[in-house]
Amino acid sequence: MADANASPGRLKYDAGFAREVYGLENGSYLKQCMQCGVCAVSCATFKIMDYSPRRLFALIRAGRKEQAMKSNTMWMCTSCLMCKARCPRGIPIIDVMHDLKGLALKQGYVNYPQAALYEAFWKDLACRGKVFTGGVIKNYVLKRGLNNLPKIIGQQKDVGLKMLSHGRLPLLPPKAPKGKKQLMQMVKRAQELEQKGAK
Amino acid sequence: MAKKIGVYICTGCSIGEALDIPALSNVATKEKKVPLCKENPFLCGRQGAEMIKLDIAAEGLETVVIAACSPRINYDVFDFGPSTIVERVNLREQVVWTHPADDEDTQAMAEDYLRMGITKANQSELPVPYQAENMVKSILVVGGGLAGLTAAREAALAGYQVVLVEKESSLGGFVGRMYKSAPSRPPYTELEETPMAQLLAEVAVSPLIEVHTGTTIAKIAGGPCLYDVTLQKDGQESSLRIGSIVMATGARPYDAAKLGHLGYGRYANVITGTALEDMAREGKILRPADGKAVQNAVFVLCAGSRDPEHLPYCSSSCCVESLKQALYVKERSPEANVYVIFKDVRTLGRYEEFYKKVQSEGVIFIKGEVTGISEDGSKNLSVEFADLLLGEAASAEEVDLVVLATGMVSNTVDYGAESGTEECAAGNVPTVQQPMLNLAYRQGPELPSLVYGFPDSHFICFPYETRRTGIYAAGSVRAPMDLVSSMEDATGAALKAIQCVELTSRGAAVHPRVGDMSYPEFAMQRCTQCKRCTEECPFGAINEDEKANPLPNPTRCRRCGVCMGACPERIISFKNYSVPMIGNMIKAIEVPEEDEEKPRIVVFACENDAYPALDMAGLNHLGYNAWVRVISVRCLGSMNLVWVADSLSKGIDGILLLGCKHGDDYQCHFIKGSELAETRLSKVSETLNRLQLESDRVRMVQLSIMDYDKVPGILDDFAEKLVEIGPNPYKGF
Repeated sequence: MADANASPGRLKYDAGFAREVYGLENGSYLKQCMQCGVCAVSCATFKIMDYSPRRLFALIRAGRKEQAMKSNTMWMCTSCLMCKARCPRGIPIIDVMHDLKGLALKQGYVNYPQAALYEAFWKDLACRGKVFTGGVIKNYVLKRGLNNLPKIIGQQKDVGLKMLSHGRLPLLPPKAPKGKKQLMQMVKRAQELEQKGAK
Repeated sequence: MAKKIGVYICTGCSIGEALDIPALSNVATKEKKVPLCKENPFLCGRQGAEMIKLDIAAEGLETVVIAACSPRINYDVFDFGPSTIVERVNLREQVVWTHPADDEDTQAMAEDYLRMGITKANQSELPVPYQAENMVKSILVVGGGLAGLTAAREAALAGYQVVLVEKESSLGGFVGRMYKSAPSRPPYTELEETPMAQLLAEVAVSPLIEVHTGTTIAKIAGGPCLYDVTLQKDGQESSLRIGSIVMATGARPYDAAKLGHLGYGRYANVITGTALEDMAREGKILRPADGKAVQNAVFVLCAGSRDPEHLPYCSSSCCVESLKQALYVKERSPEANVYVIFKDVRTLGRYEEFYKKVQSEGVIFIKGEVTGISEDGSKNLSVEFADLLLGEAASAEEVDLVVLATGMVSNTVDYGAESGTEECAAGNVPTVQQPMLNLAYRQGPELPSLVYGFPDSHFICFPYETRRTGIYAAGSVRAPMDLVSSMEDATGAALKAIQCVELTSRGAAVHPRVGDMSYPEFAMQRCTQCKRCTEECPFGAINEDEKANPLPNPTRCRRCGVCMGACPERIISFKNYSVPMIGNMIKAIEVPEEDEEKPRIVVFACENDAYPALDMAGLNHLGYNAWVRVISVRCLGSMNLVWVADSLSKGIDGILLLGCKHGDDYQCHFIKGSELAETRLSKVSETLNRLQLESDRVRMVQLSIMDYDKVPGILDDFAEKLVEIGPNPYKGF
């Protein structure tokens, strides 16, 4: 496992970061973790994660904010629910992961392509009410920077052409959904509530 | 034949089909001259049992021999009251279910068993219950802590007079000094008041409980129902008679002074859990060094436990106690950072709910090993540890309080060796017994202990028993345990104590031969004062006078017969179990001539494990060698070596002893009976070789009840060996 960003020297326990995480919507579930490791052995993407969910939780409780927030663990989570289903302490691990992703984005810890795609996807959905692949791609490219465009094209060319040939890549945006206005109001209201709850 | 015997042969359960029943009754009537022999197809049915009852009344039978199933079943059906001796001949499990039907060897086996059974019945006498003057039923409880008070309360509630003795000036013990106790009721998450206040109140008002505080025991003489206890208070002695004893003298925390490596004694802010408990009870949890508030606390679990240098064992309750104390800190300052450094969190059963609760309060658990503790100028501690789950060296800084969870040491012992010595490193910390009961027993003044100094007997099957009849250890003196288990344990011990006085006052034995009315009788005029019986009695039942004459205490006796097996003069016998009786049973076996090539094997099987295993083999219809003749003995330790001589001179080819497992994890009901048998056997081997008899003719095998599948293998293997050795040269003499 990549432990390259482990901070040098003795690890000093500090409960400050753990308290910050406990304040998230599902963060307090993290207290219940008894470090059994069932999540790690259940995880489909465990092998490409910097830290297993168990270890990530241990790092959070030890107060290693940098190391935890910069890790790719939560971004590699596919929300398959296996860990949540198996956790003997009933921790909704994927919900905790979502919260951690939110925190990492909000505090500007990550610059992962996965994180950019999350944001691009949401931005498109939030303004259109439906997802338009072209819109997502546009947002993503802008997010990653135009200078990265040749690289992205190079990487995604084959996939893109295949999707196009299968009719999976519409060239025109879809029609707006029914009641888009009300949907947007709901999203706005939810965001307001979240803001309030965060205080 | 003076005795009036009736023989009843059951022909049910395929006995009738497999055996020649008329020939079998001929053995009884013609050969053994038994006046009454009847057959019945369903002897354990109502009609069968009724028939025997009528015969007993009409013919005045004193003894009945039931040739049917194993004595281990239907014992209630074939119980005809205290004035009739019943002898069972096991034709079902050990003959017809394990051997082919209509076979010459099977028939010979059944006939031999019947001969042996009739011989035994002839020699059995009705036991006369042991009675002495002034037998009492009151119960002495030693120790006024949680277990002691619970035992006293329970015994009093059952209507027994209780004398409670406490060394300290007040009752309450260790739990009496606790602030709160861990949850014992649903939802198992909230701290509770300790049960002590209620217990003390109940004991105070009970008219049956007599409390002696500030009192110790100077001496205990006698046996169950006849204990003469001398109490000592302020130099004054008083004595009283007691029926049985519950020993609940508790445990104490391991001496933290030996935990210098964890900073105890060096830094004022390193304290034990007990000290934290005191602080919490007084209402203030502050830094001992300067009285400042506690913002960062570290609990170190397994401090000096599960550590070969200190206590090698787990004290099972320190984890939960520490969780509870972590909540004390959180209760007072919810913002405090509390870390628990553990080896394993052992929160058994419903305590898991409590563990979750403590976690949800924000206490952080770290699996780790403390590597060092240091202090800065302002008395703040720094705890360094190896974080085993992150695999790194880690530390907690600016710690105000370090709490060590020390294990429990039984109050019966003191740890003799200092830590760090070679003996400690070897894991066998020598213990020094603390004077407590001061028994006037030949085998020493205190309860013998098992490993780590906890008094116990047969920890696998009978946790309440000790190796001193009538004395029951309860609570943490017996094994480390929490409050709930302690109270349960004390209740159990109180019931055992009641059982003991009830049985003993009727002259009956206690566990494991519950209700046995016989007891060993000594023909003292032939005693040679060899001390074997006094030395070998596993329960210390036999004292000695100055001339080394044995002084039996029948109420201490568990009727195992180890003394009978030990006695070289064969002067010890029971009314229904004696050396000549078994000797005659051996002589009753018909040994075929050498040229018939049918050797005979006598199997002495312990009635507790080996005999049931043989029965189990029968229940599973596992066939085995037809040369064997099984004799059930009370314990293999009751096997007298003269039986080996009897067998060999009779022309028996081999002798097999089936006894329980011995050693540290012994399974012998009488602690060391099977071990003694093996020791005695090693002595006899030399003699056999000298007499030109191969010592291989006598073999001992350790067998447990689960090993029934091995029975055929063991018997056949031994028979093969005997064929190899050849017939007994004494055959036919």
